[in-house]
Amino acid sequence: MTDMTGSDSGGAPRARTRGDPGPIGGSLMSAVPALAFLGALFVVPLGFLLSFAFLTIERGDIVSGLPTLRHFFETLTDDLFWIVAWRSFWVGVVSTILCVVFAYPVAWVYSELKGAWRPIVLVLVVAPLLTSAVVRTYAWIVILGGRYGLINSLLIDLGLIGRPLRILNTDIAVIIGMVQIHLPFMILPLISVLDGRDRAREEASLALGASRIVTFFRVTLPLSVPGIAAGASLVFALSYTNFIIPQLLGGGNYTTLALQVYEFIIVILDWTEGAVRATLLLLSCFAIVLLINKLGAWYTRWLEAGR
Amino acid sequence: MHIEIDRVSKNFGRQTVLSDCSVAIPKGDVLSLLGPSGCGKTTLLRAIAGFNTPDRGSIRIGGQDVTDLPPNQRKVGFVFQHYALFPHLDVRRNVSYGLDIRGVGADQIRTRTDRMLDLVGMSTFAGRYPGQLSGGQQQRVAIARALVLEPEVLLLDEPFNALDAQLRGTMQIELRKLVKRLEMTAIFVTHDQHEALTLSDTLAVMNGGRIEQSGSPLALYDKPQTGFVAGFIGTANMVNRTVEDGVIHIGAVRLSATGSKARAVIRPENIEITPGAASDDWRGKVTFVRPLGPIVEYQLEAGEAAPVTVIALRRAGDDLLLPGDDVTLSVRDPAACTVLAVGDQA
Repeated sequence: MTDMTGSDSGGAPRARTRGDPGPIGGSLMSAVPALAFLGALFVVPLGFLLSFAFLTIERGDIVSGLPTLRHFFETLTDDLFWIVAWRSFWVGVVSTILCVVFAYPVAWVYSELKGAWRPIVLVLVVAPLLTSAVVRTYAWIVILGGRYGLINSLLIDLGLIGRPLRILNTDIAVIIGMVQIHLPFMILPLISVLDGRDRAREEASLALGASRIVTFFRVTLPLSVPGIAAGASLVFALSYTNFIIPQLLGGGNYTTLALQVYEFIIVILDWTEGAVRATLLLLSCFAIVLLINKLGAWYTRWLEAGR
Repeated sequence: MHIEIDRVSKNFGRQTVLSDCSVAIPKGDVLSLLGPSGCGKTTLLRAIAGFNTPDRGSIRIGGQDVTDLPPNQRKVGFVFQHYALFPHLDVRRNVSYGLDIRGVGADQIRTRTDRMLDLVGMSTFAGRYPGQLSGGQQQRVAIARALVLEPEVLLLDEPFNALDAQLRGTMQIELRKLVKRLEMTAIFVTHDQHEALTLSDTLAVMNGGRIEQSGSPLALYDKPQTGFVAGFIGTANMVNRTVEDGVIHIGAVRLSATGSKARAVIRPENIEITPGAASDDWRGKVTFVRPLGPIVEYQLEAGEAAPVTVIALRRAGDDLLLPGDDVTLSVRDPAACTVLAVGDQA
């Protein structure tokens, strides 16, 4: 131990004795309160929860003392788990793709706007975040709901349809809710890449004979991939783990992995089963977000090349 | 192709950035748009490229009116001030971009791109991304990218700004040779008169959205039509005099002039100084001496509005004047002086 701090790794200890906190030391000190807060109130409870997945609990008591992987094995061999997991994944992917499609034009318009319009658009984008997601989800029930929902009553009054459309309690309702609620998390990173872009590159493409559309797909879009990757990570993680929207807009029978965690822990009080799914949800979410970022980094490898 | 710019005007909001700019460039010539920042030179260049549309006037390239044509239909090469290379494409794909867009066959893309990379000496860097290149290398790629389409017109927006002084001089000469070899008509924008003199056949000096004067570099130096042009190209001594009987007196020299006041533009090499103060002549005192090797530059206090600059040839062993010396000034060649009427303009 003494050897290690002394002679071997010369840089860090020497820097410290001179009173230079170094690039990491200085920022770590100022992060201590936040880290302590997170550690005590997030990491430790999360650790407890995840540890339940390896134990058998009945009526609030740990039954067998030895940790086991049995619960994981049972869950992973259960077809129903895979159906639910696949739905969670699918909802997350579709929401993310739709968010990119809807957010891009908004971010684009923002980047082309001048003067007083910019803060207005920005406020409109951020404003939904000021209300609770639960309230907004309920609002969607009012809009999408049965015979007297806004959409159905309008379409029926216009005589376009005879019977109310079934939107609420379907995949479509869940996706609509996910996209609307998570859209700002895609728009904001896209705004940051599109607004700061060098327009001369697009002009260069035009001068080389490309049309505006070709220029968009060959220059503007590839250069905005860092923003798309950042937004996609956020939106996927949020959609994949959201349990309020599938619960309220999907109807009672619409189950996702996140919703199962909630039901096992809060409703059924089977903490082991809940913890198993929470662990799997967390790990798979990390894995997919990591994959999105790896793909983004691979695609934008020219950024690394410049350093 | 020859280019004609005919009375082009442009406003951004209420601000006039170009007013009645006219200039013609014969095929194969290099024109410099020279002027201080904000004079409208970049706006004019961008109008020729099609990045903005003039409010009035017309632009013709090779006889065809392109005023309202979008940039991708003008067949004009453009080199941007900061090069605007595509950071996500390597050097080869940056250069081949224009060919790719046109759907040229793969074989032809390869040979033409190779030839272009070779021409600018970037063959060994074909696989690098722009972020891995130095400023000079990026500029070569930007030029290759514009030239690969074999445009007959090349437009360059302050292409040497981002380069260090030494490289700048080399690249200016290289670019001039390249443009001449490929028989292109080129227009480039600069605020650096030395750059303009190195590169161009024709100079157009711009100020406040107007083309003040255009012509060959030496014509502008010898016969500036405005005080601005005189001061912007080379060093000019502005000598203000009151007109008496249609002439102004500068020392023993009489120059014909009109109006009540006139200003003579006298270049530093057109003034001779002799030590000692003769009684009646144009007198002065040396304030600063700058020995530059083959020439010596003197700053003199001679009773004019600004210090007078004089350049004298120097031979080894010559004695220099010293600060504080009294001297007599005289104009060497009265015919080489330009007399401007002093009106409202500066």
